[in-house]
Amino acid sequence: MSFEERLLMELKAEVAARGAEHRRRVTVRRLFAGTAVAGLAAAAAVAVPLLTGTESPAYAVTKNTDGTIRVQIKEFRDADKLEADLARMGVTADVTYLKPGTWCKADRGHVAGGEAKKPEDWDKSISGRAVRHRKAGVDIDPRYIGKGRTLVLMYTENEDQTSGPEKPRALWQYAGLVIEGPVKPCVVVKDPSWDDVDGGGQPPAGS
Amino acid sequence: MRRKQAEIATDPVAFEAFYRRHVDAITRFLARRVEDPHTVADLVAEVFVAVLDSAHTYRESRGSEIAWLYGVARNTLSAERRRAFRESRLADRVSGRRLLDSDDVARLEERIDAESRARRAFEAIAGLPEGERAVLELVAIDQLTVTEAAQALGIRQGTARVRLHRARRVLRDVPLVMEGTTG
Repeated sequence: MSFEERLLMELKAEVAARGAEHRRRVTVRRLFAGTAVAGLAAAAAVAVPLLTGTESPAYAVTKNTDGTIRVQIKEFRDADKLEADLARMGVTADVTYLKPGTWCKADRGHVAGGEAKKPEDWDKSISGRAVRHRKAGVDIDPRYIGKGRTLVLMYTENEDQTSGPEKPRALWQYAGLVIEGPVKPCVVVKDPSWDDVDGGGQPPAGS
Repeated sequence: MRRKQAEIATDPVAFEAFYRRHVDAITRFLARRVEDPHTVADLVAEVFVAVLDSAHTYRESRGSEIAWLYGVARNTLSAERRRAFRESRLADRVSGRRLLDSDDVARLEERIDAESRARRAFEAIAGLPEGERAVLELVAIDQLTVTEAAQALGIRQGTARVRLHRARRVLRDVPLVMEGTTG
């Protein structure tokens, strides 16, 4: 790794620290964005298609041989059913699908192990290990969730799935957190950063 | 745009894009002015920390981002020359030289060598009044337009144009002085 890359890492940690100080509301989401830039861009390109009007299941839950659980999301509906299916597999989950331009108020309860302060810490955090966004869905590792903890998943998706350099837009937004103890309900608030995507070098805010 | 730019100070993704756009230009800008690779590394770090501190002052369209950034770099450099930056808390938190390995030093030395012609030009124009020298530096050596140089220095375009004209009249025999755009 070159000096420029090492410096970038330090500076990003500084940026993340400032972001956390100034705008705690969006910390979790943006920290996630900071760690998964490449993944985000790729995932945004294959964003979940909306299959409205079909009778096919909204999602598929499968157990992998290594004990992790794969949730493939096809449509953003039936969140309650998904929660019940996950509960049967031993994972307490709280799934919220939101309308574009909205988000849950940041305060969903106590984040297990504390909130990641720096992007580099995200992967090592309990939430980062418990749930990973991959393709149109998530991989869940139940070992990091366990008793007294709840997996909180929040998703929103743009109705217009076209995005490009001329017309950049957020395609989807995702956050996965492990909450220790009681989970506070999702208080839906407007998300001003949803439209805050332009050609300034940012990938779509699909975090 | 102003709010967007302030985001580079709080959003790691936006910051990374900004950094990658400009880190080379800033390294070369500093290599034209400083001969020691360790100091260059410190200053590159320092310039980007200063960017975080002053991101809210940026408000033009993206086209003049580099002019704004050169302004920040100039201020950082003057601070270094006063040695004030060594006392700053942030300089301790993000120190460039700590991140250097021998390959990096060699690479920076190459950069510094490549800019030797520019550094000789600095010596030649050292005798000019500060205001004129600053405009000439940015236009003839850093290749900014007059408009951008004015922005980097926080002065009016007309003022920049007059100063450039005066500086060039005094120094027309010095290599590089007549280079740069007049736009």
